[in-house]
Amino acid sequence: MGFASLRRLPFLKGQEAGLVGVIVVLSVAFSFVNPNFLTTDNLRNVLVAVAVVGIMSIGQCFVIIAREIDLSVGSVMGLSGLCGAWLMAAGLNPWVAVALAIGVGAAAGFVNGLIVVLFRVNSFIATLGMLSVARGLTQVISGGLPIMVDPQVMFLGQGSFLDIPVQVLIFIGLVIVGQFILKRSVIGQRIVAVGDNDEAARLSGIPIASTRIAVFVVSGALAAIAGIVYTAQVSVAEAQAGTGLELDVIAAVVIGGASLSGGRGSILGAMLGAYLLGALRNAFILLELSPFLQQMSVGLVIVLAAIFDQVRQGSFRNVGIMQSLIGVFRSRTR
Amino acid sequence: MSTEKPIALEVVSVDKSFGSVHALSDVSMRFRRGVVTALLGENGAGKSTMIRVCSGVHQPDRGEILVAGSPVRLAGSLAAKAMGIAVVHQEPQLVTQMTVAENIFLARLGSRAGSALHRGGALVGEAKALLASLGLENDLPDLGGRCTGLSAAERQLVEIARALAADPHVLFLDEPNSSLTRKETDRLFDIVRRLRDRGTAVVLVSHRLGEVYEIADEVIVMRDGRKVGEGSVAALPKARAIQLMAGERLKAALDLAEAEARPALKPDAVPVLSVRKASGLAFSDVSFDIHAGEIVGMAGLVGSGRTEIIRAIIGADPLTGGAVSLNGRRVRFSSPRDALKGGIAFISEERRTSVFYGHDIAFNLTSNVLDRFGSFGFFSDRKRRAFAQASADEIGVKAETVDVPIRTLSGGNQQKVLLARALASNPSLVILDEPTRGVDVRTKADMYRLIRSLAHERGLAVWFVSSELDEILQLADRIVVVRGGTIADSLARGPEAARVVASALGEKIEDAGATALASDLAPTLGTT
Repeated sequence: MGFASLRRLPFLKGQEAGLVGVIVVLSVAFSFVNPNFLTTDNLRNVLVAVAVVGIMSIGQCFVIIAREIDLSVGSVMGLSGLCGAWLMAAGLNPWVAVALAIGVGAAAGFVNGLIVVLFRVNSFIATLGMLSVARGLTQVISGGLPIMVDPQVMFLGQGSFLDIPVQVLIFIGLVIVGQFILKRSVIGQRIVAVGDNDEAARLSGIPIASTRIAVFVVSGALAAIAGIVYTAQVSVAEAQAGTGLELDVIAAVVIGGASLSGGRGSILGAMLGAYLLGALRNAFILLELSPFLQQMSVGLVIVLAAIFDQVRQGSFRNVGIMQSLIGVFRSRTR
Repeated sequence: MSTEKPIALEVVSVDKSFGSVHALSDVSMRFRRGVVTALLGENGAGKSTMIRVCSGVHQPDRGEILVAGSPVRLAGSLAAKAMGIAVVHQEPQLVTQMTVAENIFLARLGSRAGSALHRGGALVGEAKALLASLGLENDLPDLGGRCTGLSAAERQLVEIARALAADPHVLFLDEPNSSLTRKETDRLFDIVRRLRDRGTAVVLVSHRLGEVYEIADEVIVMRDGRKVGEGSVAALPKARAIQLMAGERLKAALDLAEAEARPALKPDAVPVLSVRKASGLAFSDVSFDIHAGEIVGMAGLVGSGRTEIIRAIIGADPLTGGAVSLNGRRVRFSSPRDALKGGIAFISEERRTSVFYGHDIAFNLTSNVLDRFGSFGFFSDRKRRAFAQASADEIGVKAETVDVPIRTLSGGNQQKVLLARALASNPSLVILDEPTRGVDVRTKADMYRLIRSLAHERGLAVWFVSSELDEILQLADRIVVVRGGTIADSLARGPEAARVVASALGEKIEDAGATALASDLAPTLGTT
């Protein structure tokens, strides 16, 4: 299947097709060095490793398309996972505990949304606050001690169905639902409209306040699902789970072609972005390269993806890169 | 004769393409010192590209630019400025958190890296001296104050003062009067005359032909990226210029003046919109009716309260008193969304607050009515595109398919998409604020025909607001004049209306031009 025919697949165009290309080329290149890279086992390993970040990047993608940002996902993930385990330890039915934990994540998102909409606080600041508050709350509840998970729910992070790990199934299922909601539901198109031009959205009768709140609620709820999956995977909830993951999540979304200036992005792209990050990490381990190099390469990929996106948008049409570089230094009026 | 004056700026055989679009092909023109040259053309004729090429923003693909006779390469707008070429943009680009004086001398921040603007009194003094030399010392209130509170006209003045701070030989004015009232335009033209007399080459780009011809000495007409005519105002009169601008489309342009017979309204019918003694932010005691099948044009100066009345009725601003009925039922809308559900569609005068620029025509056209193409909050993309295609075709949007990104359309076609969006929700009343602002002559004719057929054939009630007297006179079945926040007059269409409206507006702006225009138009309008 050539590059051109990939473009004709439904939903798969532009940045997404480019990402598929990059992933295929890198995988083939890595497999020359280490044949283990292109095995089903390793593919499964990568998917398991990216499931948690990937699930959160679905919610983050909605938030970024609405021209907001959610920095609190890592903390909310930790808080929800811990709340779930804590409720189970308190004797609640584990499934009710899972539902309540998701509710905790959604509630944290709702608070984020309210602060952004009602008090017009920039979402960067509002969710930066939530990042700290949720982490603190996690420590208060746990008292710094890890909590064991009820064995009944462990299969969420450890089981498999038809030889596919359950968390991967959850991840891919949520991606499909998310992409469908984004592209084919009224609420999805409202999110896109609000992110593209909120004044136009208001004048055309779109309820912008509730749309904005909704994206934060979705992001919080998905962070909670990621928290449950992670907790089930490691069998134990601890207060530091998810620390720093918000940056990976945002990176995955941006690599996937979402624009931080709103109105553009795709869930499928975010999934591919998360996969690319995971595959890179995995490759560096298999190739026995320094973990410092791995960190550098991840950073490079993020910036390259953004540049690639700009080029694809036509920001540099008719201008050679050198010429525009010279232009930057010559013209101080730009 | 102006032909003997020295040439300040000349372009020779300039080509410029963007991708496959030829914005300029083989264009040559010269601008002389001490002459006001008007650059005319429909949207997309290449005027703006011409300005950008002359001011160093774009590099021409081919051809030469000569400043005072010697060829130059304008590497950027700073280089152009150094050559004495300045541009006043349509939308003033001010740093609103800086003072007026700082904005005027903003270029110093760019030209002297490392040295700060010298602040405070000295700069204000310098700004004062500059304005005095232009005879504008009384027009800007507080040079040391921030630009946040300035009116559109004052912002324009700051932008002009900034352009003149560098003492340019060539001054481009890009649609400088598009948001100015008649009186403000007159003052702007006074400044232009003074600059001309000082020997500056002034290049004026404007859609308002009537005003352009009051001031221009020479006219250059562009169409489809080519120069199609040039000459003195005497050699190239207004009618000829319109002909050149529109080209083959002349017929369409002439249709504008054509008045049609309209169906008589049933006098006892319940009005679609009835407003009684309404008051709000900038208006009070406003009463009027709009019937089905009727086009009501609201005339008034910028700042007379027209837009505020609309905003209060659709719920964007508070309505502090009075009663509004829609189809006989008392209503009070709390938001534009509410009003849309009630059956009032509104198209704002500012297109950039209405268009989703990142998306295609289909997205823009259907953003209000997605739930119609499916159920349970989901929709079928196929149905949506089919609907969008049908209504884009019906309204005459010029694009191959509805998958085309909306930002590639001309302003007039974007406006048509917005109209189609408004109609998609099946409103009983359509409100249009400045329906043809920044729209070229040909698309204007299309828009007028469209609006007429909406009212007279589909039976919609149409309420529009316009600053252009001829638009009001050509389009409205009934004219409501707003002055000082209240309804000054309500008139049926006809030759009488022309005179009354002109005087109602003219009274305040002390302008013979409006009355003269009205009496020009009166004969062509007297067909009803």
